[in-house]
Amino acid sequence: MFRLFSLALALWLSAPAVAFSQTLQDILQTHQEEVLKPGRRSVGVVLADLMASGLPQALPFLEAWRDREIVQRDSDGLFFRVLAEGDIVTLADLDTGTELQAPDNELTESRPNGGVRRAIGEVLVQFQLSDPDIGKRQAAVDAIARSMDASQLAPLEASIDGEPDPVLKLAKSRLANMLAALFSDTADARIIAIAALSGDLSVDTRAVLNRLLSTTDAVAETLSADVNLARILKVGVDFTPAEGYGRLVTAELAPPLVSNDDIRAALVANVADAQVVDVPVHALGTDAARWLAYDMLVAGGLASPRVKPQEQIDAVAAHVFYAAYTEPEKRVTDAARSALNAIETKVAISQAADLGLDALSLASIYFLAAIGLAITFGVMGVINMAHGEFIMMGAYTGFVVQQFVPDYTLSILIALPLAFVITFGAGVAMERLVIRYLYHRPLETLLATFGVSIALQQLAKNIFGTQARPLTSPGWLDGAWVLNDVIAISYIRIAIFVLALIFLALILFVLKRTRLGLEVRAVTQNPGMAASMGINPDRINMLTFGFGSGIAGIAGVAIGLYAKVTSEMGADYIVQSFMTVVVGGVGNVWGTLAGASLIGFLQKGIEWLNPSNTLAAQTYMILFIILFIQFRPKGIVALKGRAAAD
Amino acid sequence: MTLKTSALALAALLGTSAAAAAECADPIKIGVLHSLSGTMAISETTLKDTMELLIENQNAAGGLLGCEIEAVVVDPASDWPLFAEKARELLTVSEVDVIFGSWTSVSRKSALPVLEELNGLMFYPVQYEGEESSKNVFYTGAAPNQQAIPATDYFLEELGVEKFALLGTDYVYPRTTNNILEAYLQDNGIPAEDIFVNYTPFGHSDWATIVADVVALGADGKQVGVISTINGDANIGFYKELAAAGISADDIPVVAFSVGEEELSGLDTSDLVGHLAAWNYFQSAESPVNEEWVSAWKAKMGEDRVTNDPMEAHYIGFNMWVNAVNDAGTTDVDAVREAMYGQEFPNLTGGTAVMLPNHHLAKPVLIGEITADGQFDIVSQTKEVPGDAWTDYLPESAALTSDWQKLGCGMYNTETETCVQLTSNY
Amino acid sequence: MQRSFLAQNPSVLWFIACLAIFTAVVTVLSEAMGVGLISTSFVKTLGKTLCLCLIAIAMDVVWGYCGILSLGHFAFFGIGGYAIGMWLMYARTEKIVLESLSGQPIPPTTAEISDAIGNQIFGVVGSSEFPVIWAFADSLFLQLLMVVLVPGLLALVFGWLAFRSRVTGVYLSILTQAMTLALALYLFQNNSGLRGNNGLSGLQNIPGFAHLSQATVSLAFFTASAFALGAGHVFFAWVLSGKMGSVVEGIRDNEARVRFLGYHVESYKLFIFTTTAVVSGIAGALYYPQAGIINPGEIAPIASIYLAVWVAIGGRGRLYGAVIGAAAVSLVSSWFTGGGAPDINFGFYVIQWTDWWLVLLGFSFVAVTLFFPKGIGGLFDLLVRKQS
Repeated sequence: MFRLFSLALALWLSAPAVAFSQTLQDILQTHQEEVLKPGRRSVGVVLADLMASGLPQALPFLEAWRDREIVQRDSDGLFFRVLAEGDIVTLADLDTGTELQAPDNELTESRPNGGVRRAIGEVLVQFQLSDPDIGKRQAAVDAIARSMDASQLAPLEASIDGEPDPVLKLAKSRLANMLAALFSDTADARIIAIAALSGDLSVDTRAVLNRLLSTTDAVAETLSADVNLARILKVGVDFTPAEGYGRLVTAELAPPLVSNDDIRAALVANVADAQVVDVPVHALGTDAARWLAYDMLVAGGLASPRVKPQEQIDAVAAHVFYAAYTEPEKRVTDAARSALNAIETKVAISQAADLGLDALSLASIYFLAAIGLAITFGVMGVINMAHGEFIMMGAYTGFVVQQFVPDYTLSILIALPLAFVITFGAGVAMERLVIRYLYHRPLETLLATFGVSIALQQLAKNIFGTQARPLTSPGWLDGAWVLNDVIAISYIRIAIFVLALIFLALILFVLKRTRLGLEVRAVTQNPGMAASMGINPDRINMLTFGFGSGIAGIAGVAIGLYAKVTSEMGADYIVQSFMTVVVGGVGNVWGTLAGASLIGFLQKGIEWLNPSNTLAAQTYMILFIILFIQFRPKGIVALKGRAAAD
Repeated sequence: MTLKTSALALAALLGTSAAAAAECADPIKIGVLHSLSGTMAISETTLKDTMELLIENQNAAGGLLGCEIEAVVVDPASDWPLFAEKARELLTVSEVDVIFGSWTSVSRKSALPVLEELNGLMFYPVQYEGEESSKNVFYTGAAPNQQAIPATDYFLEELGVEKFALLGTDYVYPRTTNNILEAYLQDNGIPAEDIFVNYTPFGHSDWATIVADVVALGADGKQVGVISTINGDANIGFYKELAAAGISADDIPVVAFSVGEEELSGLDTSDLVGHLAAWNYFQSAESPVNEEWVSAWKAKMGEDRVTNDPMEAHYIGFNMWVNAVNDAGTTDVDAVREAMYGQEFPNLTGGTAVMLPNHHLAKPVLIGEITADGQFDIVSQTKEVPGDAWTDYLPESAALTSDWQKLGCGMYNTETETCVQLTSNY
Repeated sequence: MQRSFLAQNPSVLWFIACLAIFTAVVTVLSEAMGVGLISTSFVKTLGKTLCLCLIAIAMDVVWGYCGILSLGHFAFFGIGGYAIGMWLMYARTEKIVLESLSGQPIPPTTAEISDAIGNQIFGVVGSSEFPVIWAFADSLFLQLLMVVLVPGLLALVFGWLAFRSRVTGVYLSILTQAMTLALALYLFQNNSGLRGNNGLSGLQNIPGFAHLSQATVSLAFFTASAFALGAGHVFFAWVLSGKMGSVVEGIRDNEARVRFLGYHVESYKLFIFTTTAVVSGIAGALYYPQAGIINPGEIAPIASIYLAVWVAIGGRGRLYGAVIGAAAVSLVSSWFTGGGAPDINFGFYVIQWTDWWLVLLGFSFVAVTLFFPKGIGGLFDLLVRKQS
């Protein structure tokens, strides 16, 4: 298709002075159906005709078409460009630019789909590579990168020297290099281009090299010399004997197998007087009997013989199976292979690093979700099943704030402290009303807080509905930090990681360096003694619980930003959070950090082993945790001495 | 029955059907079996409201057979065993004439044995994985060949996708649909190693690794496309992560089978613009009936409410049932079922839906690109596609067909020419 | 022995008597007996409630008597359901397949029959092969054995590991919850071999009894559930009546002290944990044929927490308390969610109980834990005290 365009382009450029009698509208009218409902495969005719016409107004038309600004007037089938939308639409004539108006309901919009828009973009490339607008030049480069074609090499190379923007210039020469590796005329030029590509681990470079190295599997009795051999395939390693025989059959080098279904069909076809040959029908209920009867059919010439297992093995052994490069030039494939090998090592390292980053990010999310619990459960020993609901409350706080404060940065800045205040309040209320009566009955705290949990969850449903609510992150958190084409991590995850670090520092500071922290530790270790030292345990318990709950609220905002806000989001995290705390070791913030890291890295590791089933990864992780706790019941960072006593 | 027909005749005679409706001693009862609480409430409550709107409209237009229609609404609370219990209650205690209900396949399969045992009639309005045809259920949602296959064709034909990532939530609809698609893609020359399949749990939120895997698929220079059967909330995180990775719909298009107007409403769709969805109906469809339907819906429920595909399925299903009852002159299940075959009713998207003897509809397939306002730009619309209960692309079901009208069997093996079973394989 | 045991525990006699009267009344009024005052669907609800009462008794024994707050007993319940469900599905499908294959020109081979059954059962999850765990599905006897053995073995192994490491209190609760979650997640996978999210369905159709109406079948299951509940109650009351009961209650009140007295605490705990798991499995096997469908959602950790809440509301440490709690909460629950409760109209806001029931339930848990630690059963104490 592209050769056609370049031909048209050449024609057009060589004969600009020729006067054309037809208008753009004429061309469009001959392809009415195609313009109105274009398809990727059939749009080429329209594009070729437009190019061949050499009309200057074809370019703006194509741009408008791509941007879905072309409509057809129902009354006469003429096409127009839309200038302003509304009940009465302002239109422009495609040839003259004359403005006119038409009611909306008498127009039909042409909606080129993604594939068609890409085809239009490819045609526009030629004109946009040197366009004064940098956006259009960038679009042209993107379009070439998306579908590389030999015909683009020359115009792209021609545009490099005149490119004023240094970044785009680099992108252009890089792209030209890729095109050269694929399409240059001489093998030497291609090998030079390939050499220039090595070391670049971006996805598109690897795409080019892999395209050069694409292979097809084949089978032959003997290997012919003119094949650019990639490698010999071995039975039992690359394919099973049965697959090998299947390939022989497809290549028509062996007779097809007779399947059990075929045997059955042949037997059924030869039933006569309740028997097949001499075997009565009722005896055909086993495979052995069927084979026997079938062999009798074969002997009578009524069916084709079965291929015995040994015959299959012999046939497979008698042939050579191999993968051959589709690229015939061996020097090119060798160069590409060595370039790719060099890249792939880097890619593997980068992938490991990327997985590590993902794991770190997951660990920080778990940490953030569990850190509040580490205080209420870990330090105070209170099982708060409503912890997840505090996370949810924080997230909904963020959502509500965004309803009133449209600026996303500001709203997050308001939401974070507000979420803390609200969940702190909720935590204190719960501690005062429920938990303080139950300090000596920990298992019953579990039940009471579970009651609070389901009540809060249902309340959230009643207030906000069951649908997920958006919590939009500010623009500067969009996108990802891209180290190279493999290692990338979204800013929002980095932000969560940073937040987790801040919390770690904050909690350590509060517990270890402040009067409150001292009192908290004192009350946890021995409330009676602490009370006699003038500390009010009631007040400390209340504040500690509020503090832990408040942190859950902030975690809720962060989790809502990266995932979703629903009434059930808390329930998703509660079991994980408890396990994080327990695995890490109760009563210790470092333990929670260790627990979150272990769980995060473990989960990513298992996912990597079994990438197609995330659910299985979670299952195995929980099983691991159960076993882990059996062997280290006090967690990774176990408290020693008297503090460890129950 | 004669009483009801004569009432109808009387109604015609009087010319004021509302008066006749008042004379009917025994209202016609319609069971509405949609979850109003629990996880599925978000989707199913809309369908309950749809049924109430349809019934209101029908009553305003004179009821049915001269009788008022009365909705019996029950709440199975997203609890699958409750669907069986409530279906039994509807059929035996409330004695409804027909049930409109269910969303998930597992809830339908829970109610099926009861429907078949008590010879009830249910209309099921949601796209599903097929491989079922019950005598007592009319499937007004899409079978795989009415949604998944055309969407895949669109990827192959229009977007030139050569490598597929089939991402789904781990339950039966994505699993079966992806199995069918894998077989279909391989039939169309896509090698098995170019198809990446991944399943995630419900409500999954940690998408970074999976998105990276999908991007890495492009490393061999082939155009990658994602076919998503990801369900519900999990979609949000997925699209967010795609956008964060800088992947636009031009780079890697995503076509979703479970993302409609209702799911998009109230969401920030800027990350999703240009991605695709395949359905039999979009609110943006331009037809006079649709405009009327949308404005009636908004008048009842509020300006910010949207319409979606399962609502259209109930719209068609209900109207077909009304017409079938009128044709049969009774609400008797067997008579209505006979009258249902070949029923035609105009789609909201233009064209006509036809009820086939396999209890599925013939409906057009639409593909839309998501726009910034949470609606869809329809970029492709096919002719009516007849729903196929048993897919042709899986070896186990290729030989099966369903024809309740002539063969009287929902699972008929065309090779052995026998009816495998009359009840469903729930 | 038997005599003295009953004499010591008059509540057992009372309980059995009440249960017998209740069963008889329901039977007489049911549709199967032709009266039809109680609809078949309500008979099913009552039958299921009896099964829930049985597992609540098990929970009471393990928590109220032995002090182990297990949040995993619904996993055992589910396993019991799956075990019986496998046979029900297999046998039903086998019958259908044999019928459809009987018209063939040549008789089918065993492999063909097995393929066809597999296709019917697993076609819905896009597979047709029998996983290994279905090896015994063709035998009712073996599957019934699985109902008892699988939960028992799982509890034995899990309990041995946990008690040996001295995991106690809330840690044990979290651990059992993790076990339940792992099991549920595993079953949610489509390739778990148990049909993933779809679970096993159509269990109310009992193979070989297709000619009986559901009214009769559900009454039969109701009676069986009542019998199982009665037997379970007597069994646990007997187990807990002697020295065994004293030791077990001692473990609850002060584990270390019992250990110092020379008792092997772990063995007692393991015995209680395993026995209750087995009873839970039996309750599940009776429950799911009445519910008609079992899927992984049933095993979700929250179900087990609800179980604990029933027992707490009914009153821990007394078997009839567990029964009262389970029956009251689950029946009231279905009354509220079933739309049976009238809306409360405040003028500016209408409280619809389908929306607000969980809020009420949640706060009533809190209230019971705070104000009635003995639960509903505690009321009986008050009555008894007044009389004496």
